Parts: sequence; C-alpha cells; structure tokens
Amino acid sequence: MTMSFVFQSLLNGLLVGGVYSLMAMGLTLIFGVMKVVNFAHGSLIMLGMYVAYWSVALLHVDPYVSILIVFPVLFIIGASFQKFLINPIINAPEHNQLLLTLGVSLFMENLAVFLWSPDYRVMKTSYAEINFYIGDITISLVRLLAFCFAMLLAAILYVVLTRTDLGKAIRAASEEPRGALLMGINIRRIYLISFGIGAACAGVGGAAITPFFPVYPYVGWLFVITCFVVVVLGGMGNILGAFVGGLIIGLADSVGAMFLPGSMKSIISFTIFILILLFKPTGLFGKNHA
Amino acid sequence: MANTKKKRENQGISRREFIKGAATVSAAAAVGAIGFPNVLRGAAPPEIVIGHIHPLSGFLGFDGQELRKGLMLAVKQINDAGGIKSLDGAKLKLIDADSEGKPALAIPAVERLHRAGAVAILGCYQSSVTLVASQIAEKLRVPFVVSVAVADKVTGRGFKYTFRTQPRAEQMASQTVKYIKEITQASGVTVRTIAYLHDNTAFGTSLSEHVVKYAPEYGMEVITKVAYSPRAADISTEVGKIKAAGADVIMDTGYFGDGVRVLRTMKEMRVKAKGIIGCGNGAFSHPKFVGELGSMTEYIMDGNYRANPVNPLTEKAFSQYKKTYGTEMGPSTVFAYQPMLVLADAIERAKSTDRDAIRKALSETNMTQHILPQGPIIFGPDGQNKNAQAAMMQVLKGKVQVVWPKQYSEADFVFPHPS
Repeated sequence: MTMSFVFQSLLNGLLVGGVYSLMAMGLTLIFGVMKVVNFAHGSLIMLGMYVAYWSVALLHVDPYVSILIVFPVLFIIGASFQKFLINPIINAPEHNQLLLTLGVSLFMENLAVFLWSPDYRVMKTSYAEINFYIGDITISLVRLLAFCFAMLLAAILYVVLTRTDLGKAIRAASEEPRGALLMGINIRRIYLISFGIGAACAGVGGAAITPFFPVYPYVGWLFVITCFVVVVLGGMGNILGAFVGGLIIGLADSVGAMFLPGSMKSIISFTIFILILLFKPTGLFGKNHA
Repeated sequence: MANTKKKRENQGISRREFIKGAATVSAAAAVGAIGFPNVLRGAAPPEIVIGHIHPLSGFLGFDGQELRKGLMLAVKQINDAGGIKSLDGAKLKLIDADSEGKPALAIPAVERLHRAGAVAILGCYQSSVTLVASQIAEKLRVPFVVSVAVADKVTGRGFKYTFRTQPRAEQMASQTVKYIKEITQASGVTVRTIAYLHDNTAFGTSLSEHVVKYAPEYGMEVITKVAYSPRAADISTEVGKIKAAGADVIMDTGYFGDGVRVLRTMKEMRVKAKGIIGCGNGAFSHPKFVGELGSMTEYIMDGNYRANPVNPLTEKAFSQYKKTYGTEMGPSTVFAYQPMLVLADAIERAKSTDRDAIRKALSETNMTQHILPQGPIIFGPDGQNKNAQAAMMQVLKGKVQVVWPKQYSEADFVFPHPS
C-alpha cells in the first residue's frame, strides 16, 4: 500500500463526505424541527439529480448554474410535501409518519420510472474531464466542486440558523414548539420553510454530484442509508453534528475500502452507527438531556 | 401451518388470476364481436401458445420490453412465412408474464402460463428469476428455453426441460481469457498479470472466479481481485486498489450503471493498462455506454455474448427490427430472438404441440442457420448449447465492433490501448 494510494483514498473520502454532510443536514433539520423521520429523503436527492440533469440536457445551462434551479424547485416540492402530506399527520404516532414518508418515496421513484424510464443517464459536461494531479494523486474537478458547493451551502445554512430571525424562529420551534407558538412564531410557516430547506439541501447535494454520478430512479437509496448513519452519529436534529458526521463517515468508508474487501467496506461506518446507538444515543454532539 | 399457509396463497393467486382471466376473456369477446366479425365466421386458424417471462415493469422494465420485442419479431417472421408447416401452418401466439425482476413472481407466472396451455416458456433475463422459473417448469414438465441468464447453475441441475443457447458463465469467462491470449499473441504484446474489478453479486463473483481459474492455462495470472458493492456511493478506493496493482490488463464485470462509474473513475485517476477488458460486462459493449460517455470509451474491450455480425441473416434481423421498432437491436435482444427461432424449429420437427414431443425435439436440435457467432446450435445432455461462443468486442471510432474470433470479426482490434 503506497502513500499516494492512502492519500488518494482519504481525499476522495473527504470530498464525498462533504456531500454526505449537506444531504444529512437537510435530513437532520427536518427531524429536528418536526420530529419526522423522512424516508423520502433519498427520493428528494434523486429529484434534485434529475432536475440538474434535465436542466443541463434540455436548457443547456451550466451544471453548476443548475444548482440555482434545483434549490427553488426542491424547496417548493419539499414545502408542498410538508403542507399537503406531513402537516395533516404531524401529530400522528411516529410509525404512521414513517410509513407515509416511505410510501411517498416509493411513489416518487415509480413516478420517475414512469416519466424517465429506469435508464441510467450520465450528464455530459466538459468539467468531468478536468483533473489536477499532485504527483500520483488525482484531484477531480467535479468532486472538488461538489465538495465546495456542499460546504458553501452548509455554511450559509449554519449562518442563517444562528444569525437570522428566521433561523432563531426555526431553532425555537425545534426546541420548544409550544413556547415558540406562545411567543408569536408562526409554527406552520416555520415547518413549511424547514421542510423546504431540508429538501433543497438533499436536492443540491444530488445536483452537486450529478456531473460525475449516473442518474436513475433508485439512486437515492445509495445515499439515504448513509444519511441516517450520519444523522445518528451527529445527534438527531443536530446541524453541526450532521456536518462533522458526514465528513467522518466519508473518511470511514474510504478507510474501510482500503483494508477490507469491497462488500465489507461499510462495516466501519455501520459499526460506528451501532456503537453510537448503544453508548451515546444522543450522538457525538447531542446534549445528554435530549 | 406451512401447508395451510401455502394453500391460502394458492387460493389467493387463483382467485386473482380468475378475475384477470375473466376480464381478458370478456374484453376479447367484446373486441371480437365489434371489431373482427370475420374471424368469428371463418374457421379459427390453429394457434400454438408460447409463454414468456421477463421483467416488463420495475427496475429492469426497459430491458424486459426490449427482449419482448425480440420475441415478437421472431414470432412475426415465423407466422409471416406460413407458421408451423408440419402443423398445417399453425400460427404462434406469444403470451406475456411480468416478473417485475422478482424471483418470487416467477412461480405464479410459470403456473399461469402452464394453465394457459403454453407449449413452452421462454425467460427470464436474470439468473435469479430463471433459476426459480425453470425449476417450476421442470416440475410441471413444460419445456423452458432460456433467453438471457448467465449463471452456470441454470443448466447445471440435471434438468430435462431446460435449454439455453447463450454461453454460460464458465464458457464466457474461459473464452474471454482465451481471446485475450490470442489477441496479445497476434499483436506481439506480453500480458502476464490481470487486475480484476467486479461487483459482489453472483454475476461479478462467478465470472471473475472462472477467470482466476482459467488464466493460468493461458499463461496469465489474476494478481488482484477487488469486489465492490453496487450499493456503494463511492468506489474510488476500489479503483485505487486496482491502480496500485499495476497489472498488464484490467478486467471488469458489473451492471450498466457501475460500468459507467468504474470507467469514469479509472480515467479520472489515470489508471493505465495495456487493455481495459470487460467480461460479460453490462456496460462495456452496450451502444448506450458509448453514447453516454463518448470518447472516453474508445478502445475499451468486452468479452460478451453477441450476434454474428458477418452473417447476412443477422443483417436481415437487425434491419427488420429497426424497421418495426425504430431502434437498434441490442445484444440481449438477440438472445430473445434466436431462442424463439430454436423453439419454433423444434415444434416444426416435433410435428406436435405435445410438450414432451417438443422437449425431445429441442434435445435433438442441430441448427446451422442462425445469427450467433458459433457452429451449429446443439444442446448437450444438460440442455446447454455446446457450441455457444462469446465474442470479443472493442469500441472503435465510437462504435462497438466484434474484433475476435477472426472469422466473426467486423474490424481489426487495437491492442495495446494507445495511451
């Protein structure tokens, strides 16, 4: 095992981990605010990828400009999803919500099969052929950009949540919904916005990887399980935790792939998942009273 | 307990089937009465029912529909040429069963086709589904002609009613290794080491294991074998392992989407080898692969099943397919089309629609006029096409072309890959 191979693997793990971070931040935001476990998150990632793919294929926009389309489109999809499907059962038992989001994800996947066929589609972009080389290590431009965009959006999200009135309202609604309501915060609106932002994070995460990842209706499942691991690792509902968790899982996967046979590479991240659930169920950054 | 449960399941199926059947019959009656009164008046032409099971919906729906078109083309050609002559020109009639890509659905599908009076069944595109379907067909004594399924076990269970024209995993892998040897000898390049990247399903595992076994016979050795999970989001570390091995050639087996990811990652990481060669690869010799990835695919090779490009019959089938469906006939569609012709030939010789007579005729098949790159189609006692042959393809000037064996090649190979 050469040093360059080790560095290459760690680098790729870190870059893909950044994308996990963004996707998981969307998931953890939705959970944190509404206490809804959103199984449709993978489908939202898939929709984001398709929106990016079709924007490039049909509208001929730059793949990275397509992110500007993906964000509002997924925000609206997420907000409508919340308004028409989640809101009516927001006070129902958790397993009902879980089944609903699972059902929605199956519906969206089959709709994608129906509309766009189960074909694998590859975005055609000249960016994909640009690579930087440091000695024997490759830095692929598209992976680097996916990482940068994920980091940028994650940073914006963090600033919005900590520095703005909207962010304070979201956090208030998340921590103490009844209290927030008494203080005059429009909880329904906050729920709508939070779900929209969560969906947009998933979509942008998907769009950011589309230049190097084939798009097909079931692609979301590749990411959604990882997202759940990340969310548990960082503490359910903890935004910063999801951010760091994504990077950790990305690195753990690539370390796993270095030392273990292909089928076993996820063993490290799932072992972390189980250990966290057993010994620190509130996550690495979770408060113990939560 | 188990028995009652089974019984209940059976009842459920038959009830559902009954409703479906009733609906079909009444719809057919309505159509017949309104649309085609003439048919009712004249003597009904005798029909021979043939069933097929393919994933017509679900995640492999696209592939299943393609295979169905191949079957329909063969049926149309036979019927247009006067049907089965030894049975007074009886016409073939194809009936569908959808597996949705799920092995569990193969069982009711075979039972339904059996009850519908199918004289034989074709299927199923996936080894997993085929293994189940052929087992039920064996039990019900219905001849089962495999369209696409690579697993050795399909014809390795001592079944009497299962027949397969496509090369099985062992044939495909050993021939691919042999072709690599022949190509390297012809080009004067020495290849001793192979690094093998494959998916961890039965598909990639079985083909790669055969290559490991056969490589030493041809003076080569698989020095690294790396499996990846098709469910993994990132496979760059696996590709890194292949790169680090520094083997003379890199081999790869996987489904379409993974093939796309693998090649992209290899190009990105500047993985270099004298050749990048698939073995039964779902992407490397698929026209869509070239369409999606463009110039990056140039010189990629794949040992896989294929139609014989230098046979005029192939040309005829391809152009008719294009005329009827407006798209190119893909390599797996060939393996729906040809088996249907093999089956029709057997019915012709059996002079009967009796299933056992057809099974016997199938076992005596000796077909010289066909579109496969091989000698006559003859089934061994296990039902496997003895002469089944894979071909070596290469992407040349953006087109997948057969380059080996020489007698079936449509272009000259380029080896080693220019870097």
